Amino acid sequence: MVQRKSGGFGRRRVLQGAAAIGASQLAAPFIVSALGETPIKIGFVDPLTGSLSIQAVSEVQGAKLATAEINKKGGVMGRELQLLVEDSANDVGTGVEKIRKLIDKDHVNITMGDVNSGIAYAISQVATQKGILHIVPGGHTDPITGTACAWNVFRVCNTTMMDAGAVTGLLIKKYGKKWFMISPDYAYGHSLKQSFQHYLTAAGGTFENVYMPISASDYSATLIKAKAYKPDVLINNMGGLAQIDLAKQFVQFGMNKDMGMGATLYELEAILAVPPAAQSGFASMEWWWDQPGVPYVKEFVAAIYNAYKKPASARHWFGYVAIHSAKLAVEKAKSLEGIKLAHAMEGMELPPEVALQKKKVYYRAGDHELMPTIFAGEVHPPAKDSPYDVFTTEKWVDANKVLPLADTGCHMKFPA
Amino acid sequence: MSATVMRAPAAQPLDRHRLLVLGLVWVILLLCPFWIPFIGGYTSLGTRILVLGLAAMSLNFLIGFTGIVSFGHAAYFGLGVYGCGLILRYVTASTPLGLVAGMLLGGLAGTIIGALITKRRGIYFAMVTIAFQQIFYFIAYKWNGLTGGFDGLRGFTRANINLGFANLDIIKNDYVFYYFVLFVFAIVAGVMGLILRSPFGRTLLAIRENERRARFLGINVERHIWLAFTISAIFIAIAGGLYALLNNFADPSSLYTDLSGELVIMCVLGGIRVFWGPLLGAAVYVVLQDWISSHTVNWMFFVGLIFVIVVMFFPRGLLGILRRRSEA
Repeated sequence: MVQRKSGGFGRRRVLQGAAAIGASQLAAPFIVSALGETPIKIGFVDPLTGSLSIQAVSEVQGAKLATAEINKKGGVMGRELQLLVEDSANDVGTGVEKIRKLIDKDHVNITMGDVNSGIAYAISQVATQKGILHIVPGGHTDPITGTACAWNVFRVCNTTMMDAGAVTGLLIKKYGKKWFMISPDYAYGHSLKQSFQHYLTAAGGTFENVYMPISASDYSATLIKAKAYKPDVLINNMGGLAQIDLAKQFVQFGMNKDMGMGATLYELEAILAVPPAAQSGFASMEWWWDQPGVPYVKEFVAAIYNAYKKPASARHWFGYVAIHSAKLAVEKAKSLEGIKLAHAMEGMELPPEVALQKKKVYYRAGDHELMPTIFAGEVHPPAKDSPYDVFTTEKWVDANKVLPLADTGCHMKFPA
Repeated sequence: MSATVMRAPAAQPLDRHRLLVLGLVWVILLLCPFWIPFIGGYTSLGTRILVLGLAAMSLNFLIGFTGIVSFGHAAYFGLGVYGCGLILRYVTASTPLGLVAGMLLGGLAGTIIGALITKRRGIYFAMVTIAFQQIFYFIAYKWNGLTGGFDGLRGFTRANINLGFANLDIIKNDYVFYYFVLFVFAIVAGVMGLILRSPFGRTLLAIRENERRARFLGINVERHIWLAFTISAIFIAIAGGLYALLNNFADPSSLYTDLSGELVIMCVLGGIRVFWGPLLGAAVYVVLQDWISSHTVNWMFFVGLIFVIVVMFFPRGLLGILRRRSEA
């Protein structure tokens, strides 16, 4: 015989409350679906948790801004644009599961992602199998638009060959030809090491490279090894929080007194997260917020700041460009069919309000890589007039000249 | 507790209640692709539940029915994933051969490691299982040329199955693939059930309830635990092979500690003393993870909270409490 307690906050009451809350949550999706008309859906997978979250959050913010702007102006061909974001948790298996969910359950028309090169590679493979247009906003590993290029895959950010090619000359000129590289042990790091090796050895330089786990946080043993090698410059190839940790420890070990620091990418999010002493060295930027005289840049920077109280970074621009590229492709193809969208994007030039750069920006037909201008320059502590003025461009490099199509290894094939 | 063992040396016949539960489970599984959209799911999510459910049931064969806790069972799951993936990638595009290769690789590793660790007990046993798992993880992580390293093994897809009179399109048709996985699941679950109902299975229960008494009765405890570990590794390796077919790739996270922990959570959520408990635990875990992670990046917090609630209020697991009520 069960005896009912009078009053109190017992186990049964807790369970009843939890069940009620759970049931109300389950009911929500049905209400939402009833509101829908026929929006165009874009599925965006990015590592919103994990060591690359700092970049992923900015990419998604850029994508959300673009989506809001497009919908404010009437959508795409009169249809609302809906952005569905999923967290890959910086894990390949989760990323693949999420892209399947977006395609099979949510029936998205176009997919995008991921900051993590390995995940970007894997999920673009799923999109290829499903015949859906896939845009990689910020996964840099070269094979995506190189040896493993696919008819449905386009990329906004640069390849590691492009970024390394843009900054190698500057690093040699400023520091010298003896390098010590610390690279993440996955697709991006391997590509990056090979790219630097290619350019440095061609210039007669020597190097040593150490691979570290993608989420490494303790570099003490590796930095001791680097110090013993006595290089002219330490190349910080790590990404996200790992790059920040390495930059901090480089300064804590006092190594900035003996050698310089360089990187292919030292992104705005990372520079702002390290102490002033670590805000140094030479690197390339894939987009920079301070471009006097270039139309629409100020408006974009202001929109990002107003929406998120953050300075606009290259990652914001990647997400922004990816969404606008999808819109432009749909309008050009007048279709949502993957193959028609892919044909529409080949050679497509971005309008100035999306390109946000001085020179022409377009998707190269042969490998589906966006061809922008790369900014190579010096990282430094904030200038007096702006806390975000931490980079000075010394060289503007044409991406198409750094990496000609013939050097990509891509042999593009469309299905019959 | 020990009296239960003494009272029931042989398997009980299936009574009406058990038949009803069995029938209900299979009706739910057979109709899954049709009802899962109503709870916000999709067919490949149902397949994922089956695969992870099978993996959790395999682990539960050790935890729930032998009383031995392994925190490193992802090792054999991952070896199943890589065994299947490597065959499909480098040898031949044959789905059955891939599954067999995965089963053999995971089973062989389980047999060897099981033989080395059966004398350890409690926390020492659990620690050693984690250590071996880490070894396999780093082999997969570092052997870039063969396994693809951190990025995983890509460039293979599951192949359609030619039955002679029909061709099963498991590549493009998600429904057909679900029923293929369900077919394999049914075979493994059937074999597992038969083993547990055999004298060998009852001996495992005796070891779980009172190892010292079992030893005094003349049972070779170490050999039984070794066999249970091997069988469990074979079962979970089959689940790993199915996971490789589901994702069409293999990566080191399938060998990582996180997955071992998740499998233990699934067992505890569903109920470790109940045959179907881990399957229910896997269903709850996978659906919650899928649904909550679409709404918040803090999904792990909520999954953890639910786990804590279940452990506090349902220490026997969700199915364990139902069985207790039906028995009361």
